[in-house]
Amino acid sequence: MVALGAGVTLRMRGYPEPTRPLVALSTWQYAVVQHAARRIAALDASAITAGAPDPDQTDVAGFVDGWVARMNPRTRRDLLRFLVFVEQVAPLGCGYLGRFTRLDAAAQDQVLASIEGSSHALLRAGFEGLKALVFLGYYRDPRTWSVMGYDGPLLGRPESAPGGAAR
Amino acid sequence: MTGSIVRGRDRAGGDLSIDADAVVVGTGAGGSIMLRELARAGLSVVALEQGGYARAADFDQHEERMLSLLYEDGGGRMTDDMAIRVLQGRGVGGSTVHNTNLCKRTPGPILDLWARRYGVSGATPDAMEPAFAAIERDLSVTEMGADVRNANNEVLRQGCDALGWKGGPLHHNRKGCIGCGFCELGCTYDAKENALKVVLPQALAAGATVHADATATRILHAQGEVTGVEATALGPNRTARSRIHVRARVVVVAASAIGSAALARRSDLPDPYGRLGRGLRLHPGAVVAGRFERPIFGWRGIPQSYECTEFLEWDEGGDKRVWIVPAFAHPIGAAATLRGFGASHMEAMRAYPHLAVLTAMVHDETRGEVSASSDGEPVVSYPMIDSDRAQLAKGLAACARLMLAAGARDVTIPAASPVRVSSVAELDALDLSFVRPHQVPITSVHPMGTMCMGDDPRTAVVASTGEHHQVRGLFVADGSLFPTSLGGPPQISIYAFALHLSPHAIARARRAL
Repeated sequence: MVALGAGVTLRMRGYPEPTRPLVALSTWQYAVVQHAARRIAALDASAITAGAPDPDQTDVAGFVDGWVARMNPRTRRDLLRFLVFVEQVAPLGCGYLGRFTRLDAAAQDQVLASIEGSSHALLRAGFEGLKALVFLGYYRDPRTWSVMGYDGPLLGRPESAPGGAAR
Repeated sequence: MTGSIVRGRDRAGGDLSIDADAVVVGTGAGGSIMLRELARAGLSVVALEQGGYARAADFDQHEERMLSLLYEDGGGRMTDDMAIRVLQGRGVGGSTVHNTNLCKRTPGPILDLWARRYGVSGATPDAMEPAFAAIERDLSVTEMGADVRNANNEVLRQGCDALGWKGGPLHHNRKGCIGCGFCELGCTYDAKENALKVVLPQALAAGATVHADATATRILHAQGEVTGVEATALGPNRTARSRIHVRARVVVVAASAIGSAALARRSDLPDPYGRLGRGLRLHPGAVVAGRFERPIFGWRGIPQSYECTEFLEWDEGGDKRVWIVPAFAHPIGAAATLRGFGASHMEAMRAYPHLAVLTAMVHDETRGEVSASSDGEPVVSYPMIDSDRAQLAKGLAACARLMLAAGARDVTIPAASPVRVSSVAELDALDLSFVRPHQVPITSVHPMGTMCMGDDPRTAVVASTGEHHQVRGLFVADGSLFPTSLGGPPQISIYAFALHLSPHAIARARRAL
C-alpha cells in the first residue's frame, strides 16, 4: 500500500504551476481541467476565423477552480475522483500509457469520447458534469456569444429588443 | 410592529437564542404563506432560510452567477445514481424566485383521488376553492394571451392546432413584465408576483422576522411534542459562523420535499410505519429540440405561456401522463444539454437561434426516497419505474411530432447517441427504448411527496391538518404533503395548501400559549 501510495504521489508530480493562486483545485487537478476544457470547448473553424476566445483566454480552469470551492462536499469529492480517472485511468483504456495531460489533442479527444460513450453510466455522468462546468466557464464570457448569435442579457443591452410583448 | 430580514452579514458573531410562538423553516411558496398567516394572527414568528436574501437589483441575467445565487448546489443537485438533475431554489423566496410563473390549481380529479385513496380529508375541490381564489388574487394571476406568446411557444400552439391536439394558454403570476425571457435567473424587473415580492413583505408588515443564511440542522422534540429548531448561522462565504436556537411550540417545515424530508430524517422524528422520506415524485422531464428555417430566438420573451394537455389525464396507472410545455435554455444550459463536445459541438451551437425546444414532463408514479447522508446532506434516490419511462418516451415522441407539424426541418432528441428525425415516417419507425435514465438527460424541477398527508398514520406522515401524526406542533407546508404527483406546476398548490392548513397551525400555537 505504501508503494502504491508513493507511486500515485509520484504520478501527480511534474505539473506546471498555474499562473494564478488556486482556491480549491490542486496543481494537477487544475491542469486536467485546463486540458479537458481546451478539448471540450475547442473552437470550430468559423470561430477561429472570427477570432473567438479560446478556453484559456476565457480562463475556464480558473472559473472551475472558484466554482468547485463553493460545491457541496459530496459533489466536490465525486468530481475530484473523476479527474483522477480522466488523468490516470481513461488513457489506458484507449491504449495510451501517458497521462491525459501529456497526450496530444487528437488523443485527448479520443479519451474524452471514450468516457462520453462509456458503457458505465457513472462515467458518462461524470463527463457530463465536467462538460457542464467547462461550458459554464466558457459561455459565461460575452465574447463567446456571437458564436451562436446570442445577444446576451437584456440588462445593459444598448438597444433593447425583447421578443415578447410587454405585459 | 414591522419585522425584518436579517442576513448572515448583519448578525453578530455569537450564538443566538430566540423565543417565538412559531418557527418556519423555508421561505418559498409554503413557508412564506405560513409565516404571513401566523404573523397576521398576532403570533410571534420567525423564519429560518438556508439561502441568502437577494432582490431584483441582484439579478443580473448571467447564468453562471444566478445559478450560484438562486439554485441549490448551483443547479448541480443530482439523484444518487447521477441520472436526474434536480433543480431547486435556495434563498429568501425559494423556488418562486426562479420559476417561470406557471399557475395551475391542483386538478380536481387529483384532489378527489387523494380523498378517495389516500385518506386526505377536508381538501375537496369545493373545500379548496377559497384558498385557490385567495392565492390567485394575492399573486395577480392572469392568462397569458397570444399577445405575449414568443416564437418558441408559438411553435407549440401551431403544432397543437395542426394535429388537433388539446392545448391552451397558461396562467401566470406576473405584473409589469417586459418579456425579457430571463425568468429562470430571477426577475431583474421585479415583475414576479411571488413569495419574495408579495407574500414575505406582507409577513414582515405583520411582524414576522426572517433569518436568511441560516440552515436548520435539527427539529427539536420531546415526548411527542415539538420544542423548536436548531440552526447553523452562516457568515460571509457561507461558512458556519454560530448557532441559532429557536424555542417554539409550533414548527412549520417548508424547505421543499427534499430539504424538509432530509431535515426530518436527521432530526430522528418518530416514524413507526416507515413513511418518512418515501413516496418522492419528481415530474421527471426531458427535452426535444426542433430546427427551423426561420429564426426562433427562443431565449427572448416569456418562456412558458402555452401548454399541450393531449396526453395528460389523472387516473392512477393511466396511459396519458405527460404534460408538454416549451423549455428554452440560455447558452450555458443549451451547451450542456447538447450532446458531444469540441469543434463539432460549437458548430451545432450555431443553430441556437433557429431552435425551438419542448419538454415532456411525466405525471409520475415512481416512488423515490429522500434520506440524509452521514453529514446530513439530502440523498435523493429515484429508480424510475418502467411505466414512467414509457410515458417519457411517449412524451418525447409527441414533442417531436408537434415540432414537425409546426414546420421543423428536423428534430433531435438529445441522448447518449442523439437521435435526429426529419419526417413523421422516420419518427414512427423509431425504437424509443433508448429513452431511459442515463441515456437521455432528465431534469426535475418539481419534487413532491416525501411527508405526505392523510388521516391514517400507517400510510401518511402528517394528518390532513398538516400536523405530524406523532409529533404535536410540527407542521408541514410544502410539496412534501402531496400523496401523488400533480401533473403540472406545483406552486399554486403549495401556496394554497399552506393557506388552507394555516388555521390549524395558528390554533395549535394559540392552544399552547
